[in-house]
Amino acid sequence: MISSLKISGSWNLFTLTMVILFALPVISLMVTAGSAEENVWEHLLSTVMPGYLGNTFWLMLGVGSGTLLLGVSSGWLISMTEFPGRRVMEWALLLPLAFPGYIIAMVYVELLEYSGPVQSQLRLWFGWNSFQDYWFPPIASVGGAVTVLSLVLYPYVYLLARTAFLQQSAALLEVGRMLGKSLKNSFINVALPLARPAIAIGVSLALMETLADFGTMQLFAVQTFTTGIYNTWFGTYNAPAAAQLSLSLLMFFCFFIFLERYSRRKQRSHTKDSIMNVQPRYPLSGIRAITALVFCLLPVTFGFALPAGLLIQWALESWRNVMLDRFFSDAGNSLVLAGVTAFIGVVLGILLAYGTRLSKRRRVHLAARIVSLGYAIPGPVVALGVLLPFAWFDRTIDAWFKESYGISTGYILSGTVFILIFAYLVRFLALAFGAAESGFGRITPQMEEASRSLGKTNLQTLKQVHVPLMRGSMLAAGLLVFVDVMKELPATLMLQPFNFSTLATRAYGYATEELLKEASLWCLTIVAVGLFPVLFLNRQLRETSPRHYKEI
Amino acid sequence: MIECRNLGKSYGTVQAVSDISLSLDEHEFLSILGPSGCGKSTLLRLIAGLEVPSQGQVFLHGQEISGRKIILPPERRKFGMIFQDFALFPHLSVKDNVGYGAAGSKTEKQQRVNELLELVSLPHLATTMPHQISGGEQQRIAVARALAPRPRLILMDEPFSNLDYQLRQQLRRDIREILKHEGVATVLVTHDQVEAITFSDRMLLMQKGKVVQEGTPAEIYQNPQTIWASSFVGEANHLPVEWQNDSLKTPLGELNVPFEIGRNARIMMVRPEDFKLESVPADQANGIVKSVDFSGSVQNVGVLLKSGASVQVSGSPHLLWNQEDSVKITAERYLCFNSSGNRLNGIPE
Repeated sequence: MISSLKISGSWNLFTLTMVILFALPVISLMVTAGSAEENVWEHLLSTVMPGYLGNTFWLMLGVGSGTLLLGVSSGWLISMTEFPGRRVMEWALLLPLAFPGYIIAMVYVELLEYSGPVQSQLRLWFGWNSFQDYWFPPIASVGGAVTVLSLVLYPYVYLLARTAFLQQSAALLEVGRMLGKSLKNSFINVALPLARPAIAIGVSLALMETLADFGTMQLFAVQTFTTGIYNTWFGTYNAPAAAQLSLSLLMFFCFFIFLERYSRRKQRSHTKDSIMNVQPRYPLSGIRAITALVFCLLPVTFGFALPAGLLIQWALESWRNVMLDRFFSDAGNSLVLAGVTAFIGVVLGILLAYGTRLSKRRRVHLAARIVSLGYAIPGPVVALGVLLPFAWFDRTIDAWFKESYGISTGYILSGTVFILIFAYLVRFLALAFGAAESGFGRITPQMEEASRSLGKTNLQTLKQVHVPLMRGSMLAAGLLVFVDVMKELPATLMLQPFNFSTLATRAYGYATEELLKEASLWCLTIVAVGLFPVLFLNRQLRETSPRHYKEI
Repeated sequence: MIECRNLGKSYGTVQAVSDISLSLDEHEFLSILGPSGCGKSTLLRLIAGLEVPSQGQVFLHGQEISGRKIILPPERRKFGMIFQDFALFPHLSVKDNVGYGAAGSKTEKQQRVNELLELVSLPHLATTMPHQISGGEQQRIAVARALAPRPRLILMDEPFSNLDYQLRQQLRRDIREILKHEGVATVLVTHDQVEAITFSDRMLLMQKGKVVQEGTPAEIYQNPQTIWASSFVGEANHLPVEWQNDSLKTPLGELNVPFEIGRNARIMMVRPEDFKLESVPADQANGIVKSVDFSGSVQNVGVLLKSGASVQVSGSPHLLWNQEDSVKITAERYLCFNSSGNRLNGIPE
């Protein structure tokens, strides 16, 4: 007689093991940060910290207002008004999501730097000779980073604001208008306050991406925590200092995660009773319609169409110089890494979600939440947190073997693809877990009760009932993980084995050597892959109850 | 076959089921009847092994299968389950659904599936998908699926609630016949007294996690243990009574009851069919007909008593009543209850 307590016990054990494994990076950072020999913290405070904090502050403020402005106004126009081209704009506004920040940054550096086509053309037209003759806004600056990141991150706000506006009962707005408020007034007095929690979620997602961004900051030479961690590690190999920087960065994240969670709770209470009735859109005509269209076209143009067009043009120009064998080997590496991670991620995500579904213990649910927080940890922090324990493990094994047998084992785990995949999983398992959870949510518990009363075990039930029913959400989860791994830059840069590169790291490498045109094929491939989840999102937009991208 | 001893289940501070003991014989049909939230589904899930009891045990043929330490997992109990929303696997065809739990070789499975589809008279639907067939058909398939592994016991949780009235009656009869034919013991959980009465050999009446009464449908109807039971199973009229000068004062007049009953009686209960109505002149009447509902075989009459209380009377339509008729109303059978709602007379438990 086997006890089912034991069975669910082994599920609980699995869940807890996963948590320990996934909490390892943070734990190792804490241990390392605490092990500093001299007082690194004071040193950091007196040297780099003020600069990091200042830049971070301006970045938050800038990207926050930028995404707010672009996202809320486009969300409002798309959901509440009708103008020619609105239907196309509805999905086109999502396109910039396909661009990782560092690729759009590369394109704009190439376009707008001193020797780039824009400035050269201006000099030609106006007869200027050198940079002393005129002023041009410096692209490699905090302002440049704010602009570029706002252009690719506003879709988070747009998506959530649009959904929130659509879910508001039309009656509320009509009440506002019947009480003598104009459309503009009812927007400010009724719609905006109701949508505030959703907008806050969108902005906090955008700000978390900004905090985690590495590539853009490095290319624009803006010193922030992420670049600081990277440079401290590669410049000085000062692990305690890098760990302390990582922990300070994580504190910011705690704040934004709190903000995001808090807003989600509030949002639920704001949309709970709303009836999904079709709202009459306010028709715009003449100059107002054109203004609306142009307003929506601006972010789409500068966030997607222009950079994509330039990349295509450069790819065509540099066609002969491209080393295709290099491209195919990088693409192969990216494909294998992303594919393997997506597969493992989906399997682990399903097992984890199933484990939490089976268990009624609060402990297990809390544990699953912890695993899903990995998504909020920026790439360099994950990389460092993974690298430290693995390197320690390798050194210990190596020392032991040297002492006992006189053989050096070298690096067994660190410096291999294994560690890279592990780091990806720490970061992106949350995506697969979230998707699996929502997939399970759509299957009534009676399905497994029926199956088990028919003599099948938990695992057989999972295989024969849940997995076939969840094919769609699993595919989506795999796709999200796949694309995010393809785009991932800093962790890959820090952890990739010697003589190994992916599409992302090679593109970045080209860009740092100012060979952007050669990199355009790599960049285009990443953007093209990044379009898949956007298409997927677009399909979901059409469903009656839109789900939020990256709902963790 | 199945025995539950002092079974209890609590979720945090909420006691869903407390101290329930029951037993079930081979081939017996038991129904668990109670209002929603009374813990009847939890009791069923405890028997199924889907919940771990907080106290007490479940035995199968004398062997413990659920307790605080030992739980035989549901898949090894060989109990079939039938759900309110049918719970057919949407990705499998009808015949694959039925064959899902069947044991044996491929041909044995095939044979069992055909046999069961024949039994529920739906062999023509074998290759259709669940969403293509009606609710009644889905529930028949669910029954066939549950029977496929030749279970020892069938557990049904409100299996007919999602079906419309006419279909429900038909299906209830059919499924009862099918299950009797297979000779499998059955526990039915329901909030519908008609369903419980017509379906089962024995009933367990539950309220707030506890068993109020257990017995055959007729026993519970005729001798409800509490006032609540009297109105939950069947229709009941409740009238206030008072013990004065060695007789029981009731709105129907004085009644002669033994001292030890009358002394504690506070409420009398009369079934609508247990009243007798006589046409009398106004000065001898103790009630006036206020409403008449004629529905074919039965006539329901609402009578306003002189005391101000009103009662529902039902009887054969041989004598048709009219509004404002003066009547003398007497109770041919009645039960008395004390101040805490417990029955005083009738057959002792």
